[in-house]
Amino acid sequence: MKTPEVAIELYILLSAILFIMGVMGVLLRRNAILVFMSVELMLNASNLALVAFSRQWANGDGHLIVFFVITVAAAEVAVGLALIVAIFRTKKSIDIDALHLFKD
Amino acid sequence: MFEAPSIGDLNIAATLPATLLALGACIFLLVDLFVPKDRKYITALLAAAGLLTSLVLALLSLMNIIEFGSGETAFAGLYIADQFTDVVNVVVLFTGLMGVLVAYNYLDRIGKQRGEYYYLLLFTTVGVMFMGSAGDLVTVFVALELLSIPLYILSGFRWPQEQSEESALKYFILGAFSSGFLVYGIAMIYGATGTTEFRGIWLAVDEIIAQDLSSKYLLLLGAGLTLVGLGFKVAAVPFHMWTPDVYQGAPTSVVAYMSVAAKVGGFAALVRVFASGMSNFVLDGATAAAWQDTMWLIAALTMILGNLVAIVQTDLKRLFAYSSIAHAGYILTAVAAAGSAAVTNEAAQAVAIYLAAYAFTNIGVFAVIISVEKDDSSNTGLDSLRGMSRTQPLLAASMTLFMFSLTGIPLTAGFVGKWFVFKSAIAADLFPVAVIGVLTSLVSAYYYLRIVWLMYFEEGEPQVYIPWPLASAISLAVVGTLLLGIFPYLLQEMAQDIVLAFGR
Amino acid sequence: MDITIESLVFLIFGALTLGAGVLVVTSRNLFHSGLYLMMSLFGVAGLFVLLAAPLLAGFQVVVYIGAIAILIIVAIMLTPGLTQIKTLFNEQWMVNLAAAVIVFLVLVSVITPLMDDVGVDNWNADFTEDHPKAVAADSMTTLGEQLVDPDYFMLPFEVASVLLMAAMIGAVLLVNPGQAEDESVVPPEGEEV
Repeated sequence: MKTPEVAIELYILLSAILFIMGVMGVLLRRNAILVFMSVELMLNASNLALVAFSRQWANGDGHLIVFFVITVAAAEVAVGLALIVAIFRTKKSIDIDALHLFKD
Repeated sequence: MFEAPSIGDLNIAATLPATLLALGACIFLLVDLFVPKDRKYITALLAAAGLLTSLVLALLSLMNIIEFGSGETAFAGLYIADQFTDVVNVVVLFTGLMGVLVAYNYLDRIGKQRGEYYYLLLFTTVGVMFMGSAGDLVTVFVALELLSIPLYILSGFRWPQEQSEESALKYFILGAFSSGFLVYGIAMIYGATGTTEFRGIWLAVDEIIAQDLSSKYLLLLGAGLTLVGLGFKVAAVPFHMWTPDVYQGAPTSVVAYMSVAAKVGGFAALVRVFASGMSNFVLDGATAAAWQDTMWLIAALTMILGNLVAIVQTDLKRLFAYSSIAHAGYILTAVAAAGSAAVTNEAAQAVAIYLAAYAFTNIGVFAVIISVEKDDSSNTGLDSLRGMSRTQPLLAASMTLFMFSLTGIPLTAGFVGKWFVFKSAIAADLFPVAVIGVLTSLVSAYYYLRIVWLMYFEEGEPQVYIPWPLASAISLAVVGTLLLGIFPYLLQEMAQDIVLAFGR
Repeated sequence: MDITIESLVFLIFGALTLGAGVLVVTSRNLFHSGLYLMMSLFGVAGLFVLLAAPLLAGFQVVVYIGAIAILIIVAIMLTPGLTQIKTLFNEQWMVNLAAAVIVFLVLVSVITPLMDDVGVDNWNADFTEDHPKAVAADSMTTLGEQLVDPDYFMLPFEVASVLLMAAMIGAVLLVNPGQAEDESVVPPEGEEV
C-alpha cells in the first residue's frame, strides 16, 4: 500500500464533524424517523473513522468492525422501523415531543 | 492459505452455559410454532428448563466443581471464562428464570400470552452472558445489541397499547443513540491502540503511557465516549432520562427482568472495558487511572439525583425506576474505585457482589408490583400497597424485607452489597464518594420505609393477585435476600477469585 | 496540502458527505432527508475507496444505501401525511444544542492537537509492527477468512447471526397484521380511541 496523500487526521476530523451532525440531528429534531436517520449518520461517522484508523495501523481489524456495525445497523433499522410503523398505526404521529406522556 | 480450524482450538466447551442457551432459544423458536395458542405454558416451561439447565452448569462452574473447557479463554481470547463470567452468568440466568416466573400469568392477564416473549427473553439473557464474558470491544458491542434489541421489542410487547409502544420507541431511540456513542468510542480506542482486544489495549496503553504518545488524548476521548454509551445502558446520570418513562410504560414483567439484566450486562461491560482494559491508563503525576475522576463524579451525581427524585414519586414503577438509577450510582462507585491499581480486583468483586444482591431484591420488588397491578396496567400508585399487612401479611412482610435490603439494613443482601462497595471506595481513597453513598442511603431510607409505613400503619384494602409462579418467584427472592444477608461469606466466597487486572 | 488528484477527490467526497449530512438534519421534507442520507452514505463510500477499502465501499453501497436507506424511505412512505414537517426543532432544542456544541468542542480539541504535532504515518507507527495482527485486509478472501477464523472475529460473527434472528422475530412480531386474532379487542384504527 502506498502512503495516503491525504492525512489520516483529516478523515478523522471529517468523521468527527459528521458524528456531531448526527448528534445534533438526534438532539434537535422531533420526528422519529429523522432522529433515526441521524443515528445512521453517527454510525457512518464511526465507520469512516474505523476505516481511516485501519489504514493508519495497516491492520484489518477496523474493516471487520465496520462489517459488524453494518450488521447491527441493519438489525436496528428493522426493529426501529417496525416500532415506528406500529406506533404510527396507533397514534397517527411519530413526534418525539408527543412521547413525553409521563411527566414528573 | 486458509486452513479450517480444528474445533478443539476454539475451546467451545468453556462457553457451554451461553452457547447452550443460545442453541436452546433457537430450538424453542421452532418448537413454539407447533405449540397451540392455548398451551403456551409449554414454551414457558421449555424456556424455564433451558434457563435452569444453564444456571446449573454456570453454578457448577462458579463453585469450581466442573471447569468447562481448558483455560480461561475461548475463541482466541474473545471469550473470557473466568470467575467474573461465572458470577455474571449465574446472576443473569437466575434473573431470567425469575423473569419467566413473573411473566407467565401476567401475560395471560394482559392477553398477550405469546411464545415470542420467552425466546426473546432467552436471547437477551444470551446477550448479557456474552457481554459479561467479552474479551474484545467488538464482542461487547455486538452482545450489547443482542441484549438491547430484544428488550426494545419486549418493552413494546403490549402493543397496541399506547404506553407500551411509546416506552419501546423511547427506549429504542435512546438505545440507538447510545450505541452510536459506543461505536465511536470503540473507533477512537481502536485508533489509539490499534486493537480491540482488552489484553492488546492494556499492552498498548502501557506503551502510550511509557512513551507519552499524543494518542493518549484519543484514548481519553474513546474512554469518554464508551462511558457515555454504556452509561445510557446502566442509566447513570446524566444519561438516565429514558429510565422512568420506559419503566412506567413497559409491561411490568419486562421491567422486572430488564431492571436487573440490562444493569448486569452494562456493568459487566463497564468493568471489563475500564477495570480490565484500561486500568493502567494513568496519566503522568496521577495515582489512579485517568477515567476515575469522571467515574466517581458520575457515581456521586447518580446517587444524589436518583435518591432525591425518588422521594417525590407517587407511582411505584416510577419510584423504583429512580431507585434503580440510585443503585446504579452505588455500583458505579465501585467501578470508580477500580481505577486505583491496588484496588482493581477488590472493586470488581464488589461490583459482582452488589449485582448479585441487587438482582434478588429488585426482581422481588417488581414481582410484588405485578401482584397489585390491574389488568389494564393501572393501580401501580403508592396507594395500591396501603394497608397490605392486614389482608396479605406474608406479601407485606416480603415487601418489607425487600425495602430493608434496598435501604441497606444489616442482615439483608443489600447491606452486604453496600458494605463491599463502600469498603472498596475507601480503599481507593475515594472517601467523599463513600460518604455521599452513606448519606444518600439514609435519604433513600425515607422513601423505602414510607412504603413499609403505608403497608403496616395505614388503612386500605389492597386487591392482590398471586398465582403460584409469582408466589414462588417472590419466595425465591425472599430466600435469596435473607440467605445472602445472613451468610455474607457466600457472596464473598463466590467473588474472591475474581481477578480482572492483567499481570505485567 | 498540495492539490493532487487524491486530495481533490477527498475534497469532493468530503464535501458531498458533509453537505448532504447537513441537509439530512435540516431538511423540512422527510422524503428529501432520506434521499440526502443516501448521498451522504455514498460520499462515505467514496472515502472508503480512497482509504484502500474498495470492498467495504461496495458493501456500503449495497447494504447501507441499497437496503437500510431504502428501508427508511419505505418507512417514510408507510407513515403518510408526515412528510412535510411544520416545526423543525423539538421543544428542548436550546439545551440540546448547547450539549451538542460542548461535545463538538471536546471532539475537536482532542483531534486538533493531534493534527498539529503528528504527521502522517508516524502516529506511533512503531507499535504497529509488534502487533501480531498486522495484515492488510483489502481482499474479499482475507475479510471472509477473518470472519470465520477462530483467531479473529468468529465469536462476534456468531453472536451477530443470533442478533439478526432476534431482530427479525421482533420486527415481524410488531407489525404482524394477524395480531388481532389473539385478542378479544381489535386494535383501534384511528377512529375510536
